[in-house]
Amino acid sequence: MFFIKELEKTIQLHPSYFGPLIRSHIHRELLLKEEGSSTGKFTIVCILDSFEISDGQVIAGSGAAEYTVHYKAIVWRPYKGEVMDGIVTSVIRAGFFVECGSLQAFVGRAMIPTDIKFDANATPAQWTDNGDQIIEKGTHIRIKIKGLRSEVDKMFAIGTMKEDYLGPLQQ
Amino acid sequence: MKITSPPNLRYPITISDLARKPGDKVKRSDTLFTYDYETYVEEGNKMGEYVKVLKTFPVRFESFLDGIVEKWFIKIGTVIERPGVALLEIEEPCTHETQFGGLCVNCGEDMTEIDYLTKEANSERATVNMTHDNVALLISKKEAIRAEEDSKQRLLNARKLSLIVDLDQTVIHTTCERTIAEWKEDPNNPNYEAVKDVQGFQLADDNVAHVAANWYYVKMRPGLADFFENMSKLYEMHIYTMATRAYAQEVARIIDPQRKYFGDRILSRDENYTDKLKSLHRLFPNNTDLAVIIDDRADIWGYCENLVRVPVFNFFPGAGDINASFLPKQQELVTQTPKVKTVEANAKTGSGTGSEDTPAVSIAGKPADTTSTETTNGAVNLEQQLLSMGAGDSQEALEEHLKEQEKVIITQQTERPLLQQQLVLDKEDEEAEVADASQTIEDGSTQPIEHHKHRHSLLHDDDRGLEVVAANLRLIHNTFYDEYLKKRAVPHSGRVAELKGQKSPKKPLLETVAPDVAEIMPRLKRQTLNGCVIVFSGIIPLGMDVEHSDFALWVKSFGAEISTSVNRQTTHVIANPDRKTTKVKRAARYPNIQIVNAEWMFQCCTRWEHVDETPYLIELDDADRIGSPVEGLDDDSLDASEEEGGGGGVGDEPSVQLAMSDNEWSSMRDELQDFLNESSDTDGASASDSESVRSTGSTQSESKRSKKRKRRNKTESNDGSEAEDSDASVSSASRLEKKKRRTMERVTSLTNVTNADKSSGLPSPETTGPEEDQVDDEGKVFDPQGGGADLDESDYDDSLEAMMAAEFEKTASDEE
Repeated sequence: MFFIKELEKTIQLHPSYFGPLIRSHIHRELLLKEEGSSTGKFTIVCILDSFEISDGQVIAGSGAAEYTVHYKAIVWRPYKGEVMDGIVTSVIRAGFFVECGSLQAFVGRAMIPTDIKFDANATPAQWTDNGDQIIEKGTHIRIKIKGLRSEVDKMFAIGTMKEDYLGPLQQ
Repeated sequence: MKITSPPNLRYPITISDLARKPGDKVKRSDTLFTYDYETYVEEGNKMGEYVKVLKTFPVRFESFLDGIVEKWFIKIGTVIERPGVALLEIEEPCTHETQFGGLCVNCGEDMTEIDYLTKEANSERATVNMTHDNVALLISKKEAIRAEEDSKQRLLNARKLSLIVDLDQTVIHTTCERTIAEWKEDPNNPNYEAVKDVQGFQLADDNVAHVAANWYYVKMRPGLADFFENMSKLYEMHIYTMATRAYAQEVARIIDPQRKYFGDRILSRDENYTDKLKSLHRLFPNNTDLAVIIDDRADIWGYCENLVRVPVFNFFPGAGDINASFLPKQQELVTQTPKVKTVEANAKTGSGTGSEDTPAVSIAGKPADTTSTETTNGAVNLEQQLLSMGAGDSQEALEEHLKEQEKVIITQQTERPLLQQQLVLDKEDEEAEVADASQTIEDGSTQPIEHHKHRHSLLHDDDRGLEVVAANLRLIHNTFYDEYLKKRAVPHSGRVAELKGQKSPKKPLLETVAPDVAEIMPRLKRQTLNGCVIVFSGIIPLGMDVEHSDFALWVKSFGAEISTSVNRQTTHVIANPDRKTTKVKRAARYPNIQIVNAEWMFQCCTRWEHVDETPYLIELDDADRIGSPVEGLDDDSLDASEEEGGGGGVGDEPSVQLAMSDNEWSSMRDELQDFLNESSDTDGASASDSESVRSTGSTQSESKRSKKRKRRNKTESNDGSEAEDSDASVSSASRLEKKKRRTMERVTSLTNVTNADKSSGLPSPETTGPEEDQVDDEGKVFDPQGGGADLDESDYDDSLEAMMAAEFEKTASDEE
């Protein structure tokens, strides 16, 4: 699910950037470092333009200046039970891996409808019901999150396909 | 799951109540049963005294599992004395056999949670990783066995095996030098032909040396497409490389554009857990029966039995393996590269690139940037490697390795060693041209001038390693399935017997039916050098454990034995041709020892066949062959010749042991002596007495032997041995030698003459020249035993004897 969230970030700037363009430097630094990063709980998708920069403070001993920036960003946080779309990155006998933006999900054998079977002899290997449902690397797929766990800078999810309207998307 | 009494209770305990019946649901932290235990407690009474009292306490035993109670093994009143007693069985709804990133794949629960009830973390249930491209997915041992059994059945049905393919220097060679791109663009460049199919790529996340996106140039080993096409019918192929994932994927895109050979079966350093060793168990945790590996290095596989060692593919000279800085250093090879010879040959002939001159398998030494100091890769050092692995996990070590790799790449980018080498080569060409031009003027001959435009190329597109490997892989595949079908036929007959009403043998399991590659391969390999006893000389650096050096282990896997000293059991000495070590000199005195260069070993070990030694023999002066006349040193050789026996008559003083009578021998020797003296006289050379005296029977026969051997070599291979022979004769140091050689020639020519005598009746020794070829023919023609051209090891002695006898007869009649 997407949210707008208020966030805070401390940015250190090298003295060579001190000058009339200092605000744009800070802005660039913020976009570069924060957009696309994952905290383990959520991913920062997009930083909104309006942000507040505190007064800078020179750090003793290094000469760099420290700014605290308050900003708003669109963040994405997956929830258990959420349905989301992703792209299959790898297909193995035990299931397949799905990438949903910054989230890596795995759909196990038990989470795949029984009529879709693994075909190891196909190149590349695929899960298929020998009809129009083929799951191979690159397939766009809709899954539901069944379990979620976060580590420091990444998240893992277990997905399922065993419900209505889930599975490969027609392209 | 069966629950047993845990170790942390106050035993003995008495069960007082069972809270659940079989079939009841339990949740985590629900009470399963209650029990009592007894213990002494100090109690104070009103007088202020403390007394120890035995008391009984009731305790609830809580479930640490969800599920359904299946069965109780205890009842009310049971006394449990010790830990490990079975209490009850709980049927779990999910056994968490497959886990992804700490989550159970089947129920989605977090496996890493630990609380006061946790006996064993759930994450411990799945510890095996057999996925190629992911480290987050783990499965349990049971699941792994099941999966492997599945894929094994699938492979057996498809009549395939698994093939693990290494990338760098096995099927491709990569460099970062941008010279390659320039050469590729320039059709006039001498290297254009060789580099035109080189493909380049950049890695997006590459920030090596902070140089903007570095280019990698990949050269495929010649014949790679055919190799993959053919092998994919026999093998299911996997990539296993020590490079990064991004690199491996880019290379896979180049060597397998349609992804039909490898699919997603790519395992890289990022998923290997360690960057020091490769292990089959990473992909096949329990069952490696069907796995065959091709790699150019055996040490990182721990000299695994499933490994087919491939000759190193070194296309860009000096580039080495850019991903090898993480690996233990490879031992440097002390041998000259065959390429140098090719260049020289080209200079002589002046023809095209002349790739046909090079041996079928070019095994260039490891580039010079890999040092050989303290880098033994033996099994003994495995421990050290493991130790260093522990240290290697530290961030510092990793950074060090990365820096090293960076350095290699920067060197390639900035110094451009290939370009420099080509420039040197061009310069040499120019010089040669000038020399050539002057020569043509002198000769006045009509040599074609077109080759003057030709510049010698640095890169040679002539590697044939894959053909050899493909042949080996085919052999393994055939042997495996021959045996498999044979073994499978047995249970069928058992079944027939069963139908006939006879007692049937137990049907063998699949495990026993399918043969094991690790058992087949050594058997095939052992035949190659079986019975050879090999001594290394000047090959393995001093101070290194010879028995466990890389080469020794390699040779041993082909059935040869390694010995550290030359003795009569020795069959081969593998020596450095540039150095005459004492071992070589010693070995030279045993006529049965083949002194060969390292190339012979590589040929044998890559082709899996006992390659003919002749082209690899190291030329030795005849002086070396004879050995020093000092008596004391010859003890061993005496023994050796005695052992040969068989009436060879080549020993020092063999008259006592041999079947021939003493009289015969002494008369023979006398005659020979006379003849030698006489012939040297007729030659007009001043034969000093001391010399002729010294030429005893032993030296004589010794020299004859070496002579004969040379001849034999020639019959087996005609290439270049003429030069060898003349070289040898030129370099023969002593005059005595020269004289003897001439005598020999005369002897043989004389025999020839008498042979012709019967037809033409013109006995003139001068008619036959000293050409060795002729001598050869004569040897064949004049074998009185009718052995013909066959001068094999077996009847070698016999024919020698026969020839000697014949010669003596003729000379005797001549003199009369």
